[in-house]
Amino acid sequence: MAVPAPAADRLRRVLAMVPWIVANPGIEVAAVANRFGLTEADVLDDLNVVWMVGLPPYTPDALVEVAIEDDKVWIHYADFFSRPLKLTAGQGLALLAATDGLLSVPGTELDGPLARALAKLAGVLGVEPDVNLEVDLGAAEGPTLAALQRSVDAATDVIIDYYSYGRDERTTRRVSPWRVNATGGAWYLEGFCHSAEGERLFRIDRIEDLRPTDDPSEHRPDDSGLDVRVFHPRAEDPKVTLWLAPEAQWVIETYPTESVKPRSDGSSEATLVITADAWFERLLLRLGPQVRILAADDEQAANLGRSAAARVLERYRR
Amino acid sequence: MSKLERLLNLTAVLLDTTRPLSAEDLRQSVEGYPPPGPSFRRAFERDKDDLRTMGIPLSIARVPGVDPPVDGYRILPEDYYLADPGLDADELAALHLATIAVRVDGSTEGREALWKLGGLPGEATPDGSPSVASLPIDPAVTPLFEAIRERRAVQFSYRGEVRTLDAWRLHFQRGRWYVSGFDQTRQAERNFRIGRIEGEVTVLVDQPWSTDPPPHREAGRALQGWELGEDSPIAVDLLVDVERAVWLGQELGPSASQRPATSEEGPSSSVVFTVPVVNQRAFRSYVLGLLEHGEVLGPAEVRADLIEWLEAIEGAA
Repeated sequence: MAVPAPAADRLRRVLAMVPWIVANPGIEVAAVANRFGLTEADVLDDLNVVWMVGLPPYTPDALVEVAIEDDKVWIHYADFFSRPLKLTAGQGLALLAATDGLLSVPGTELDGPLARALAKLAGVLGVEPDVNLEVDLGAAEGPTLAALQRSVDAATDVIIDYYSYGRDERTTRRVSPWRVNATGGAWYLEGFCHSAEGERLFRIDRIEDLRPTDDPSEHRPDDSGLDVRVFHPRAEDPKVTLWLAPEAQWVIETYPTESVKPRSDGSSEATLVITADAWFERLLLRLGPQVRILAADDEQAANLGRSAAARVLERYRR
Repeated sequence: MSKLERLLNLTAVLLDTTRPLSAEDLRQSVEGYPPPGPSFRRAFERDKDDLRTMGIPLSIARVPGVDPPVDGYRILPEDYYLADPGLDADELAALHLATIAVRVDGSTEGREALWKLGGLPGEATPDGSPSVASLPIDPAVTPLFEAIRERRAVQFSYRGEVRTLDAWRLHFQRGRWYVSGFDQTRQAERNFRIGRIEGEVTVLVDQPWSTDPPPHREAGRALQGWELGEDSPIAVDLLVDVERAVWLGQELGPSASQRPATSEEGPSSSVVFTVPVVNQRAFRSYVLGLLEHGEVLGPAEVRADLIEWLEAIEGAA
């Protein structure tokens, strides 16, 4: 048996369900269940409470009347509950943000039902879309996104020219595409990379050229669900231990660490794996005096910051 | 008598009344309360909290003609009822699909909103179907949204300083939420990263916007770190290798202008961008991310600052 929902949650549900039944007299119980994502038993439980509700002196004529016949339901005398409750700020925001975000996806119909719904909702909530609220799920070229989605649906491989920001290099790869999705403000392609021989994530805005093929994808995601991570340390990748100033603690929250030792002054010592030289060089250049290398697996890793700074300075000393 | 039933009866009585009702009035007219005393008080306080968390607005006023004065409660119909947005069936269906496609992390509020608007229509996609995108909503975004709807100022602490802001606009870009508006503390328009707000956002209920937003706002472009700041604006010239130019042009946005480099400035076919910068630290960080593929040409002090920064790293022990 399911755990009963707390009273406040059920109240929320009932106050949403009653107006809809009032507006749709004789609706099937099954349709109510379907519409509100409940089981029929849940609906009947809720209706059982509703017919006890009313106003003082709680004589039968002051009570809500619920009639159920042939699996159909009618509600009468529920004038005070005949219209739904206002949306809370959180509810309005969640709905508007999801809608506005979806409309920002390249290729979405800009004058379709979703756009009309957004305009009507925003009107009721007293905001103007794009002026007061704008959600951008990430930059991506509409045709690239659409072509990738077609290859995902057809389960055929694609060839991509990809700029890897972390390694600061361009490569051409064959990928069996599994899924396209936006997270953290960017669009990603998840799939099996034939060059890396493993599951990989690709930022779609860094795909410089896309060539769909008709070759069926041999590598499919297994049923255990996708678990593709950006971070792929190899056994031979060097490790470094860094001292990070208090203002550089974001590094620990942003990148995977092997271990972290906080110090009492707000700084910390953290051990990280260097998966790509360019990534580590950028980190050191940006942090400047906020970072010191305390220990490194190999000499070259220990010198990456100095050598990168020297390379950049060469430009300035010409 | 279940608690749900009592809450429903309480809501019905508070909605139906035309005058404020005291706690004692409510105890007598709503079934299911314990006799007068501490346990009634506790139950009544909990019920009020439950109604408030559900977003049911309780209005409190003095009960007329009673001495000593007593607080009375009612729910004003105009506060309670949803104005009907008049959604057509296809529009409601599109909204439902939107809440499935764009998953608001850790929240069922979009779904609850749909219930109120008439439920999840028809043979909808099953709940298990994958979302296309995920959207986090920081807790501080909700009160800011409330303030925008009600055109009220907000107050929050940012970089150790209390700010009073006429919040005009929320935007989510590159995975982060921002709020912009008129900063009453600084008497100028400002952008804030919501994740960096310290503590809670307070909506100043009795303080409407001091300034209205300008009629037309530039929409549809993500702002970069160097466009969000309080340094006095400077125009920085940035030289980049030609193979980076297209990509960089997109990142730098329309406020940056672009021209071919002269032969003194750099190798032929490299490109010079002139970028308006109001946050020099953020821009330095961006330029360093280009490694040896970019170079600041001027102004001289920005170039000197970058060289000094790099030399410190080059010479570090």
